[in-house]
Amino acid sequence: MLNSAILDALRAAVDVEGATLPSGLITATNQLQTYECDGLTNMRALPGAVVLPRSTEQVQAVVRICDQFRIPFVARGAGTGLSGGALPAEGGVVISFARMNRILEIDIPNQRLIVEPGVINTHVTDAVAAYGYFYAPDPSSQTVCTIGGNVAENAGGAHCLKYGFTTTHVLSLEVVLPNGELATFGSSAPDAPGYDLTGVFVGSEGTLGVATKITLRIVKRPETVQVLLAAFDSTSAAAQAVSDVIAAGMLPAALEMMDRLSAKASEAAVHPNYPVCEALLLVELDGPEAEVNAQMAEATALCQKNGAWEVRLAQTAQERGLIWKGRKAAFAAMGRISPNYIVQDGVIPRTALPVVLEAISRMATEVQLRVANVFHAGDGNLHPMVLYDQAIPGQEEIALDLSYRILHLCVDHGGSITGEHGVGKEKQQAMGYMFSEPDLDTMQLVRHAFDPHNIANPDKLFPRTRLCGEKSGPYIPHPLETAGVAEFF
Amino acid sequence: MTAALSSFDDLRASLGASLNVASMVERDGKIVVSPQSTEEVAAITSYANERELAIEIVGAGTKRGWGNPVQANILLETARLTGMRGHSWQDLTATVAVGTPWAAMQRTLAAHGQWVALDPLWPETATVGGIIATNDSGALRLRYGSLRDLIIGMTLVLADGTVAKSGGKVVKNVAGYDLHKLMTGAFGTLGVITEVTFRLHPIPAQTRSWSLSSEAAEPLGELMLKVLDSQLSIQAIQLRASSAGYALDVELATLPEVLTLQVAALDRLAESVVATSLVSQDQPFGAREELFAPAGGLIVKATMLPSAVASVSSEVVRLGGSAVTQATGIMYARFPDGVAAKALVALRASVTAAGDGSVTVLRGLDASASPWSAEGVSALSREIKRRFDPNGILNPGRFVGGI
Ligand SMILES: Cc1cc2nc3c(=O)[nH]c(=O)nc-3n(C[C@H](O)[C@H](O)[C@H](O)COP(=O)(O)OP(=O)(O)OC[C@H]3O[C@@H](n4cnc5c(N)ncnc54)[C@H](O)[C@@H]3O)c2cc1C
Repeated sequence: MLNSAILDALRAAVDVEGATLPSGLITATNQLQTYECDGLTNMRALPGAVVLPRSTEQVQAVVRICDQFRIPFVARGAGTGLSGGALPAEGGVVISFARMNRILEIDIPNQRLIVEPGVINTHVTDAVAAYGYFYAPDPSSQTVCTIGGNVAENAGGAHCLKYGFTTTHVLSLEVVLPNGELATFGSSAPDAPGYDLTGVFVGSEGTLGVATKITLRIVKRPETVQVLLAAFDSTSAAAQAVSDVIAAGMLPAALEMMDRLSAKASEAAVHPNYPVCEALLLVELDGPEAEVNAQMAEATALCQKNGAWEVRLAQTAQERGLIWKGRKAAFAAMGRISPNYIVQDGVIPRTALPVVLEAISRMATEVQLRVANVFHAGDGNLHPMVLYDQAIPGQEEIALDLSYRILHLCVDHGGSITGEHGVGKEKQQAMGYMFSEPDLDTMQLVRHAFDPHNIANPDKLFPRTRLCGEKSGPYIPHPLETAGVAEFF
Repeated sequence: MTAALSSFDDLRASLGASLNVASMVERDGKIVVSPQSTEEVAAITSYANERELAIEIVGAGTKRGWGNPVQANILLETARLTGMRGHSWQDLTATVAVGTPWAAMQRTLAAHGQWVALDPLWPETATVGGIIATNDSGALRLRYGSLRDLIIGMTLVLADGTVAKSGGKVVKNVAGYDLHKLMTGAFGTLGVITEVTFRLHPIPAQTRSWSLSSEAAEPLGELMLKVLDSQLSIQAIQLRASSAGYALDVELATLPEVLTLQVAALDRLAESVVATSLVSQDQPFGAREELFAPAGGLIVKATMLPSAVASVSSEVVRLGGSAVTQATGIMYARFPDGVAAKALVALRASVTAAGDGSVTVLRGLDASASPWSAEGVSALSREIKRRFDPNGILNPGRFVGGI
């Protein structure tokens, strides 16, 4: 796809002639392989070239070339995405933001800062911690994932229950549109006149252009943080405690749940000293000390009322850190108890938790697989992890099928197929289960307005490839479907 | 939109056959329709779209003068699209039809101690749909965010009659584009919103407001930044400015037993900056509506960074006006007719000089001028409008840049 003239043009776009900086163009196959996949490692594609621009102008130059030759491009942050969002277009261009990682401006009185997209999530908090501020969205991958990737996925985290998702914290964006033009969406001051393009761009998974500069909102650190760990005999009892805490008018900073399997895996991996139980609830409250003290007493009583047989209030910052370490390590820890696993990301109304967890467990038993559950209980965001063994012929297909059926179950209960990981390549077909044709067609109007030639992260997010103006296009079957294992609706 | 208006009977025949359009009358040469369901809205837009008839969408009409005037053949009233479609109080979500007056919705939600945590203008009359289309918000935005943060799903009808859903009924959801964010603040130029799902918050156990007055804006502006930088349970802050002086209003929302402690802390903070004490204040946050109450005058919405609030407030007073500014940096300012023209130019200059922001006229603009300071609208925004409404039938010309 990329002939030598195009490669030369790309090189000229990202390398300054005569400069001694390392080249910003990668074309060697062995180096390209590093970019073959993101966190969803079972889907891979080799790009034709990877560029590592150092400035907005360089990004523009690259995108102009892509536009001119109709070459698909895929932006890439840290590649931790779990839905194949940064999966390259075969033979296309990957734009890595690894070298655009500067914090450009810090404005404490107005509680905002401006960053390049390659800045790592925790580095934002590091930059403002001395002033008593933090950047609230905290995906578990926060020590490696980038703000650009967070913006594209509208990343969430445990503390988004109280503080809101990435979208709440993005004030303004500088974006290179798929035709190479530069645009500014929103402003630091509220309510910039015009359509809320910032709101649409956040969460658009790289399909509407690439963000090159991001203005973020930061939040004052609360006076106190307290974490409670409660052990229950059943997930339904823990779920009821969650509902009761919310019904009491509290808005905890985080409300997380882990079932027996995932708590066990975390214990094995990072030894957080969790009690052994069917359901572990983690309640974090933050705010003014007097307020937190009063609310924590009430939350503790509500847990006990619902049968918690052990409630532990972390006494020190170190104890708090350990409890969270166990929770944040939950995905990776699965490796301790299963050779392979699939992480899913469904959402249900909080009240449906007991019924849905029950159904998941039944579905898992039917196909003789185990499903571990870690979830953001406060907002009903489940991360069922389907455990399997690739070495057993056919088991991966069964596991994949189960993971998609779990997503359908979430939709059937009035929920969503993804709460934070995005649709990407992985859940394209599930989009068709959640949204009707007219819903998707309407989203396509936005897509086509931004990207008429369908070159920005093409063939993701929507159920099937569609060219501009076409009502329906070539249908690309999912590998599972080709294998005759599953059908999509 | 110059296409000839088809006859009223034609529309009635076309719609009446299959739909029970509850109200359809002819008024001032326009067809006025009040559909009762999303399907009826779709039938009306697709009928108008085929004939290239312009539709003006109207809620209670409280903000009908905002933006450019619309020349329409059809007036689509949302007055009969009313009522709660569901309140999952345990999930803290609710779905409501857009013609519902804001306060009526809040009264229903309050039965379970919940609310949509937003304080728009004229809640008794203003409809949910009109508030969304204009992206109105009040001082509560400081704590709870704007409509963008509170709307989790929507049903909308496009110009061609397509009925689409965006988002859903769960708070956390990243599947697909957030069309509901595109619709919010779009002044009805991209589609007719018919139903909306909100995330709700518990109504705080106790709120209390306090005020501080001063002859100068600067110390209050400084105090405002200090309060923003504090860890107090602040729900709302605003700075009032007029020739009579300045006042900073602060609302605390927390547990009753915590309130006393916080008031003491707030008092200490105030003493350190302005050397006066707090005065308990009843309902100061209606000040924005009071600006609009007398007829006439020039009224603008200006936006700025919080650090510019004090200096721009002084400028408003110097120019002969008065203002109410929320700590998020959203100002509503009023000028008497005599000074309006000069004041508008000067205020725009002062907002520009302060760095970031905009000034939009809401009332009292002379007919030839544009409400927005920057008339331009990006090619991208025009393209979005063209894709959603190729015949330009929905509130044509109403929004910035005439889109
Ligand atoms: C162990 C683990 C835990 C995780 N936990 C969470 C969690 O708690 N919450 C959560 O939300 N996610 C979580 N994730 C998923 C992932 O970390 C997030 O989606 C993150 O936002 C991706 O950031 P990234 O920099 O790695 O982006 P990438 O994976 O590189 O890219 C993600 C998407 O963003 C696009 N993109 C990247 N940069 C730009 C740009 N500048 N402009 C436009 N588009 C761009 C890409 O094209 C792609 O579509 C987790 C992942 C792992 C591996």
